[in-house]
Amino acid sequence: MIIEVLYPEFCNLYAETSNTRYLQCCLPEAEFVFTEYNDEPAFLTKKVNLIYLGAMTEHSQEMIIKKLMQYKDRIIELIEEDVPILATGNALELFGEYIQNEDGSKVEALGIFNYWAKRDMMNRFNCLMMGKFEDMTILGFKTQFTFAYSDDFKYPFIDVEKGTGMNPDCNTEGVRYHNFYGTYLVGPFLVLNPHFTEYLLKKMGVDNPSLAFSDVIYEAYDRRLKEFINPETKYY
Amino acid sequence: MKKKGIRFYFTIITIRIASKLMKLMGKNATHLPGWIANKMCPNFLQYMEKPEKLFYITGTNGKTTVSNIIADALKLNGYDFVNNAEGSNLNSGIITALLPRTTNGGKSKCKLAIMEVDERYSPKIFPYMAPDYLVCTNLFRDSCKRNGHAEFIRDILDSQIPAHTKMILNGEDLISNHLAWGNDRTYFGINCEDGHSTPDNIIKDIVACPKCGSKLDFEYIRYHHIGKGNCPNCDFGSPELDYKVNAIDYDKGYCTVETPKGSYDLKLIGNNVTDIYNMITAVAILTEIGLSNEEIIKSFDVAKLEATRFASEMVCGKEVIMQLAKGQNPIACSRVCDFIRHEKGDKVILLVEDDYYAMKDSSENIQWIFDIDWEFLKDDSIKQIVIGGVRHKDFELRLLMAGIEPSKMVCCEHEVDVAKYADLSLGEKFYILYNVYTIDDANVVHDSLVELLKNGGNV
Repeated sequence: MIIEVLYPEFCNLYAETSNTRYLQCCLPEAEFVFTEYNDEPAFLTKKVNLIYLGAMTEHSQEMIIKKLMQYKDRIIELIEEDVPILATGNALELFGEYIQNEDGSKVEALGIFNYWAKRDMMNRFNCLMMGKFEDMTILGFKTQFTFAYSDDFKYPFIDVEKGTGMNPDCNTEGVRYHNFYGTYLVGPFLVLNPHFTEYLLKKMGVDNPSLAFSDVIYEAYDRRLKEFINPETKYY
Repeated sequence: MKKKGIRFYFTIITIRIASKLMKLMGKNATHLPGWIANKMCPNFLQYMEKPEKLFYITGTNGKTTVSNIIADALKLNGYDFVNNAEGSNLNSGIITALLPRTTNGGKSKCKLAIMEVDERYSPKIFPYMAPDYLVCTNLFRDSCKRNGHAEFIRDILDSQIPAHTKMILNGEDLISNHLAWGNDRTYFGINCEDGHSTPDNIIKDIVACPKCGSKLDFEYIRYHHIGKGNCPNCDFGSPELDYKVNAIDYDKGYCTVETPKGSYDLKLIGNNVTDIYNMITAVAILTEIGLSNEEIIKSFDVAKLEATRFASEMVCGKEVIMQLAKGQNPIACSRVCDFIRHEKGDKVILLVEDDYYAMKDSSENIQWIFDIDWEFLKDDSIKQIVIGGVRHKDFELRLLMAGIEPSKMVCCEHEVDVAKYADLSLGEKFYILYNVYTIDDANVVHDSLVELLKNGGNV
């Protein structure tokens, strides 16, 4: 089993490295490939079971879009072939059409999905979010400078129950297409959502997945779920 | 200084009365007068005359400690100055601090001002009262909710620094030491083995050249991204140091510094490498202010860390240590973990770290807990870790991921109860780690622990 972590030297904001560190605890036998900026991605030549990309700075986004653009066709093939890909935080934006700066200038993104992001660097947005994906309740935190917009979010990942989705007028969060899962949620996402992590492990080809420190991670989840459900809990 | 109108005069009289009333009522007038001033007269700071020599001290970590060292040194040596040590480091805190030393006409009555400035607030301060000197201790990721990331903060600062401002910068921080690149500048840093280098932190906020994107070559790393590095493909890299620590002797408790005005030994204020950085930052500032080497040496002979950040006492043969580990700030917490693992003796750690405000009416964003190098506590000398508070399961999970043995951990629901679960027989040193906003709970824990130690474990 190969898990490829793309550009960990850049994509490591908001403790997102803990997503892969937790997977390492769950899958001690798996091979983790940490592909740095000047390396050739493993997904070009090897069968990988998961590609992970975490949150990054705006400057890093622009560098990484340039880098991934040359692999765009292969990335589309991998998505169509059901290879699991997880993009958290603003890594999601790389797969959209473009990222717009406050001055109206645009950074062209990979253009795989039909949404775009708009930066507002002087107004940071923070909130809690709770929503449904299949029969799972997904919990997470948002901390971002951007919102994403689309004429039609064709492939929503999570139906938002509380908190904000892709933008303040949108009641869905993220993108799910085949086994591509993109979400603005950070937290770290997999650590906060053990049910989804088990689901993802199955998609990656793990038979009967068992989570590391299972009792503790589920207890932490259950405690948080109670807090998120509580009508007194402030989401903003 | 902008031309004043009637609004200014009315505001300054009003806030003077408000300050006096607050003092009469026993309230600390450390922030509110400035806040009121800005409400009544927007950007009030622009109408106040700048003191003759104005230093701003900013940065992610160390700015309060450095500001306190500077204030103590200036007081000791009889300098007349104004600072905001008693108040906030926002624009309102600066107005409040300057107010008693400003005439009703807005003229400054002091020659020297040393102001700690929240780096995020520079756009609300610098355009209205530009600094003659800007000191930046370092830039790291901090609270993600407020500060985003280090690059964002660097860009904010860079867009606000006037061309005439002299920069006093950490030569070993490749993020902050390129601020205001065209400005007059001087660099401080450590120029010798520090004995506590930590090249294995999880977080490194700069790894690639911001000019060309190449991976930086680091000659050494002291902690996180602090060290000496260069780009292999362009001219980006660490500068030569002007103020430097050339030798550190932790056992004897002194270090040797070299400045443009000569070399001398200074008494250490602490055993952490960050203490050394705070010292050399203060040396650079004090020298730039104009203190003599003798005045600086005298200041460090009596300098102490503020008790609200670090305090230690012996109780029945055991050491009880109160150590601030700022919540939402993974760098500060990782530094504390690193410090503890290097201390001698068997240790018990009591965690009182939940975010007070999130706990009150929300659910805390826990990402910062997962960015901390808890791996440093996987050490034979750490005998027990007691975790208290509503987030204890999150801490427990992260500590398990760090490889801490489950048998070493005890969790409890209420932070103030952690002392009850401490095994007094296991440690020679008991560290109470607390957040800025949990100091009251930490004091309760401290008192319980001291009582338990005095009573041989019985309440």
